[in-house]
Amino acid sequence: MAKFDPAREGEPMVIRSAGELMFPATRRGFIRTLLAGGSVMLLPSVFTACSDDGDDNPLGPGPIPDPVTGVSFNLQSDVGIFQLLHLNEQLEAAFYTAVVASGTFSTLSGDERELLTDIRDTEIVHREFVRTALGSAALPDIRGSIDRNVLDQVLSSRVSILTLARTFENTGVAALNGAAKYLTDARNLLVAGKFASVEARHAAALEDVLPPAGVNANTAFAGDHLVDGTGRDVKLEAGVVLQKVAATGLLRAGTLAAAPITAGPTPLQGVATADFFPANP
Amino acid sequence: MENQQQPILDAIDPEITERLVSRRDAIRQGAGASSRLAAGLALGSVPVALAALSREAFAQTPAAILDVLKFAFILENLENEFYKAVLGTSALAAQNNAFAAVRALIPDAAKQAFQQIQKHEQQHVDFLKAVIPQFGGTVTTITAADFDFTGGNGSGTGPFIRATTELDFLLLATQAFEDTGVRAYKGQAGNLLINGNNSADVALESALRIHSVEARHAAKIRRIRRQRNTGDTSLRFSGYVRGGGVAAAGAGNITNPPAEVVAALNLIYGGATSESNTQHVVFNGTAAVTIDAAQLTGLGVISSGDRTAAATQAFDEPLTKDEVINIVKNFIKDDAARGLP
Repeated sequence: MAKFDPAREGEPMVIRSAGELMFPATRRGFIRTLLAGGSVMLLPSVFTACSDDGDDNPLGPGPIPDPVTGVSFNLQSDVGIFQLLHLNEQLEAAFYTAVVASGTFSTLSGDERELLTDIRDTEIVHREFVRTALGSAALPDIRGSIDRNVLDQVLSSRVSILTLARTFENTGVAALNGAAKYLTDARNLLVAGKFASVEARHAAALEDVLPPAGVNANTAFAGDHLVDGTGRDVKLEAGVVLQKVAATGLLRAGTLAAAPITAGPTPLQGVATADFFPANP
Repeated sequence: MENQQQPILDAIDPEITERLVSRRDAIRQGAGASSRLAAGLALGSVPVALAALSREAFAQTPAAILDVLKFAFILENLENEFYKAVLGTSALAAQNNAFAAVRALIPDAAKQAFQQIQKHEQQHVDFLKAVIPQFGGTVTTITAADFDFTGGNGSGTGPFIRATTELDFLLLATQAFEDTGVRAYKGQAGNLLINGNNSADVALESALRIHSVEARHAAKIRRIRRQRNTGDTSLRFSGYVRGGGVAAAGAGNITNPPAEVVAALNLIYGGATSESNTQHVVFNGTAAVTIDAAQLTGLGVISSGDRTAAATQAFDEPLTKDEVINIVKNFIKDDAARGLP
């Protein structure tokens, strides 16, 4: 649907594809917004034909939607923090789905195929869980925003697949470790904790199968590059998480808003702490 | 206003209502009073302020945080002294001697992993030792002599004694220790949540960062076990905990495991919220919603026979403090006076 952030009531209604106007609810909203003197943005994607059909689709079943643009987050509620989680889980699930469907996958070892299939399945469960939890506040399907040229390049070799996977998982651990303190409900905090240790298991396994250059393969799972001198794991504040996600190049330019965090956590939610994350996770 | 207050107070249990009497004390503590309470008071809305206070008074206090930190300190010492005994670096010769036989069987690659893990457990001990006084607590002196790694509560001949002579048994016990640690921290996270209290923020974030390190450890040990038992795909190469109870331990390579060990593994991977749980509660701002991860739509890419397994492995589950104590108490010699269970 066109609108995914209830906190943005009063902002321009965004129509991303002509197909959205086929939904009666969207049409009513469109007309009501115009009658009320509001503004409606028609993204360029409304005027372009859908480029992917569902038949040749490594990113998961169903037609790939048009790209989304200008995704942003209001982190002043648990909903906004879960939306950030939803972005990461969507990206990871789409990536691992494409990995398992790739030609390179069949050249990997049995252990690596088991690992990547397990991670794919887990990330799909995470994606669907977070989407269900967010309900009408869920982000739109972002598969159309994945840069297929960059993705194809990554999928072309074992090393590039495992390197990006390692980055994703360590970033995922760091994101959850950094965001948890801003959650206001203990039930949501518990769910975030249930995700975090699973992401840490992924990250440890990926460090094992392809340790970063210069890291001892026997200790990479929780190496000195990932665990600080007080025995604490990686941790990132949300703004840096989004920079890391953007730096993968997997999302087309413009998917995230130029300032993707419209409102950071308030001091009453929590106060930012120093980040800890390696240059080469 | 009366008719507005009534339903709110009705909905609060009597214990909470009783504690509302001392709300001024709670407000005076300051650290625990959050935006919701302040907003309620600013609005002059008694029901809003009371509802917020009932949450605040039962949201966590610095004393509750101290309790968690001291509990974690015991568990980290248990883990640290265990690894030191296994590696032969304990300050107590008897602990080193106990593990001499199995130590000789540990391959070098696994030994390096053990050393790395032990280093982290020592760091966690040191970190907690430094943080506990900041919350007004005193640090209990805990030494290698406080533990019985056979699970015999001081007898030295408990049901886990085969960990001192059999490598596969040692690795199983190690994995179980680590997964207990992961579950213990997860269960305590909610007790560290005081939004906007900077000390609490640091305590919560630190606990979660230790929690994910423990998960890396647990996953590594499971993978070492898988590599020694390549046919046992219940031991996932990913290091996941799949399913619940003893089945989730992947103990198939242990011949004739003692009944007490099976019972312990059932506790470690079971409990009130077993590792096999697929139902999780989220609060969306207005209502608590239970979502069954095995019944989600959109799981089509996952083979239909694998969806329940995927739903269990995708979520690690918490243990309560009482559950953790029940698991570890026979590894710690009784000393209630020093807070040791």
